[in-house]
Amino acid sequence: MPVRQLSEATVNRIAAGEVVERPASVVKELVENALDAGATRIEVATDGGGRRFIRVIDDGDGMTCRDLELAVERHATSKLDDEDLLAIRTLGFRGEALPSIGAVGRLTITTRHKSEPHAWELSVEGGVKAPIKPAALDHGTRVELRDLFYATPARLKFLKTDRTEAEAVRDVVRRLAMSRPNVAFTLTGEDRAPVTWAAALPGAPGQLARLADILGGEFRANAVEIRAGREGMMIEGFAALPTFTRANTLGQYLFVNGRPVRDKVLLGALRGAYSDYLPRDRHPVVALFITQDPREVDVNVHPAKTEVRFRDAGLVRSLLVGSLKEALGREGRRAATTGGTATIAAFRPASSSRWDWRQSPAQPVIRGNVVGFAEAAQAAFQVGEPMADARANMVEPAPELLDRPLGAARAQIHETYIVAQTRDGLVVVDQHAAHERLVYERMKNAIDRSGVARQILLIPEIVELDEADVERLLTRADELARYGLILEAFGPGAVAVRETPSMLGEIDVRGMVSDLAQHMAEWDEALPLERRLLHVSATMACHGSVRAGRRLKPEEMNALLREMEATPNSGQCNHGRPTYVELKLADIERLFGRK
Amino acid sequence: MKVTVERTALLKSLGRVHRVVERRNTIPILANVLIRADKSKLSLKATDLDLEVIDSVDAEVSPGGSTTVPAHMFYEIVRKLPEGSQIVLEASGDRAVLAIRAGRSRFTLQTLPESDFPDLAAGDMTHKFTLAASDLKRLIDKTQFAISTEETRYYLNGIYLHTAGSGKATMLRAVATDGHRLAQVELPLPSGATGMPGIIVPRKTVGEVLRLIEDADAEVAIELSQGKIRFSIGDVVLTSKLIDGTFPDYARVIPLGNDKELVVDKKDFEASVDRVSTVSSERGRAVKLSISAGKLMLSVTNPDSGSATEELEIEYASDPIEIGFNSRYLLDIAAQIEGEVAVLRLADAGSPTLIQDKDAAGALYVLMPMRV
Repeated sequence: MPVRQLSEATVNRIAAGEVVERPASVVKELVENALDAGATRIEVATDGGGRRFIRVIDDGDGMTCRDLELAVERHATSKLDDEDLLAIRTLGFRGEALPSIGAVGRLTITTRHKSEPHAWELSVEGGVKAPIKPAALDHGTRVELRDLFYATPARLKFLKTDRTEAEAVRDVVRRLAMSRPNVAFTLTGEDRAPVTWAAALPGAPGQLARLADILGGEFRANAVEIRAGREGMMIEGFAALPTFTRANTLGQYLFVNGRPVRDKVLLGALRGAYSDYLPRDRHPVVALFITQDPREVDVNVHPAKTEVRFRDAGLVRSLLVGSLKEALGREGRRAATTGGTATIAAFRPASSSRWDWRQSPAQPVIRGNVVGFAEAAQAAFQVGEPMADARANMVEPAPELLDRPLGAARAQIHETYIVAQTRDGLVVVDQHAAHERLVYERMKNAIDRSGVARQILLIPEIVELDEADVERLLTRADELARYGLILEAFGPGAVAVRETPSMLGEIDVRGMVSDLAQHMAEWDEALPLERRLLHVSATMACHGSVRAGRRLKPEEMNALLREMEATPNSGQCNHGRPTYVELKLADIERLFGRK
Repeated sequence: MKVTVERTALLKSLGRVHRVVERRNTIPILANVLIRADKSKLSLKATDLDLEVIDSVDAEVSPGGSTTVPAHMFYEIVRKLPEGSQIVLEASGDRAVLAIRAGRSRFTLQTLPESDFPDLAAGDMTHKFTLAASDLKRLIDKTQFAISTEETRYYLNGIYLHTAGSGKATMLRAVATDGHRLAQVELPLPSGATGMPGIIVPRKTVGEVLRLIEDADAEVAIELSQGKIRFSIGDVVLTSKLIDGTFPDYARVIPLGNDKELVVDKKDFEASVDRVSTVSSERGRAVKLSISAGKLMLSVTNPDSGSATEELEIEYASDPIEIGFNSRYLLDIAAQIEGEVAVLRLADAGSPTLIQDKDAAGALYVLMPMRV
């Protein structure tokens, strides 16, 4: 077959395959257009998961008749004035979306620019343009798309159920809505009950309000504000406390210059920042917005623009990790409010049906010969009622202690939990978890200060790896040395490990080094080694701390509370569980129906 | 401060005081032992805020002074130094370390200032008396096993020491109970103890005192007040807080009216209970006593493993009765019987049983049955 130029329609359909993958990608392109047009109010409606019908209405600038004519042509855009691909300040720029969409569905655009006397309407069906005609519209643009993929039936077959597609649309709109709290979004259509996110105030409070609308009020209560900048780069947004986590990474919303992305560098940095707080199978919840000079970041990596390329990935990484760690350290003593809420929920009003006579001091004394299949029971005589250990009460709590965040210790219950009183509530501390974290933080400081002791190997372990892995390991040799792992080049395809961290004892060097290399290839960090060292520290901390079951004196309890206040990250134990919960007086009053 | 002291003497003293120090602490100074050198004496003091032990040894001191060092580490160092060595302890004012030298070994330990070391501030003691070490040992030995560990009844977590009328004489009586069993021992009231308040001595204190008087046969001087007690045994002084609570009216549960009297050889009884309880499970340690005229049948049935029975000859003339007990409790009490013959006084299968030594008065035990 001879080589020939493909027809315009075919080219558009091929392009559509990249840009328009599913209804949600159409919604994404259209909403981004609306945002680029300066809309303050955007309404999105879909039917049949977006396959039957998609409509996006905005109150943006609109287009003139001439612009409209051109907009559905390939590589026509208003967003790249000087054709400078390095300085993209808009969400779109490729000029592919509208023609691609027009190529695979029945597209109708109605728009009015303020310079035009009336609105214009243009239809494209399967890539075929109908003539422009006048229409009625006050201002802004209305884009309607019916029968998506009718022109490419193959694509239709790959769509998931309407419900799933509708959910994907929702997710796209959520992400865009998060990045633009100042724009009001409405999401309606047959697929769902309509929701509206009202325009929020500019700045952090508005942002948090929008995030709370979308992620739920619990996120707001557990969010820590992140704000950091360096060398023209800004990171803003909110991260949840380590005690508020999810089992998957779907709660991680990252934006670069207002564009929702799922980028490896960023996700890796996020894992690194939280690695000290979370167990392996829990993931943090964050919504972070990175702003950078568009010249420093290449968004033209993927047609759907979910991946970006940073010119200086190291800066992005260090700023992200640094600002998150700083914020978490600052707020580290705060435990998730879910703790308190769960506590409230766990309280039940006393009810006689739950009362168990076997637990009661008034347990009936056995009379006569009771024989049965029941477990033999030890009878007891009455020697007084059980009551709380009153030793902590011996000293009246000093008023200044009550003003401290964790209050004054009043009692220890079940030889495990410290009950402390604050001015406006009460605090219950898990003594082992809390002390373990304190010891752990101390050990971590010691590692930071004096490094990790290294065991020299009698016979250096030669680990064969591919060349790229060797290269990666060697460029980070200094960092690895700080963690006690000394390795050097051993020919092109191997490294020789000479010293290992003595804390780890006898280890599978080969396995660890190849783990490290693989992890570095993917995430560009030496987390596995650090994690293992910290794991050992955590185990040692566990053995070195006050156990549950140890009775503490009032002075010891107060000393523990004061040290918790002074230590960063003392709000959660090494496994991300809270070390204390707080009940506000208002909560207690609510429990008793006083409020 | 510079002190020269003989290793064996120092080790013995440290051994006495360092046990008080908890292994894990939330207050750093509590892990330390206070060393004070003055006038050819080196005194050592350790505390856990409820209990403090002071001991002193002869030493060459010049000049005097005081400091605190980690107790367990100091003990381990001294323990590992060669026997018979002379140990030199030296602390200079400007650096917060204590140098320890012996032979060719040199250690430095970080110190914490003496001023931070807590003081129990004993205050005025209202009553003073002395007891022979053997008598004190008897009071503790025979009651210690019954002390409760249950924190919700913290007032049972010690031995209740008080005066009580027994017939015409007034006695010094020790009582402990955990709600399942009760032990009571009494001695003639020593002079000086008249009018003393009833006090509850905590379990840990009791254990420490017992260790200190283990091989002592001298007199122990006891001083006490409403809130504190002090034992002086030779050079060692142990001061402890008392449990702030009211011991329940235990007399109500002592069944003085039980009419079914069983007399049994203590050794045989103890050995039999021990044998049959071999088959009992971890959870249920019940042993059944089937008592009829002149005969005691002990039996254990464990549905998971098997059963055991054993017969004993006894003196018994009342109506036959079946009653169950926790075998461990029975053994605990049997171990306290000093004479050859034990007497059990029973009422019925659901009521407390009184156990006594046939010959020796002054001690009695009450045990609640199990349902079998």
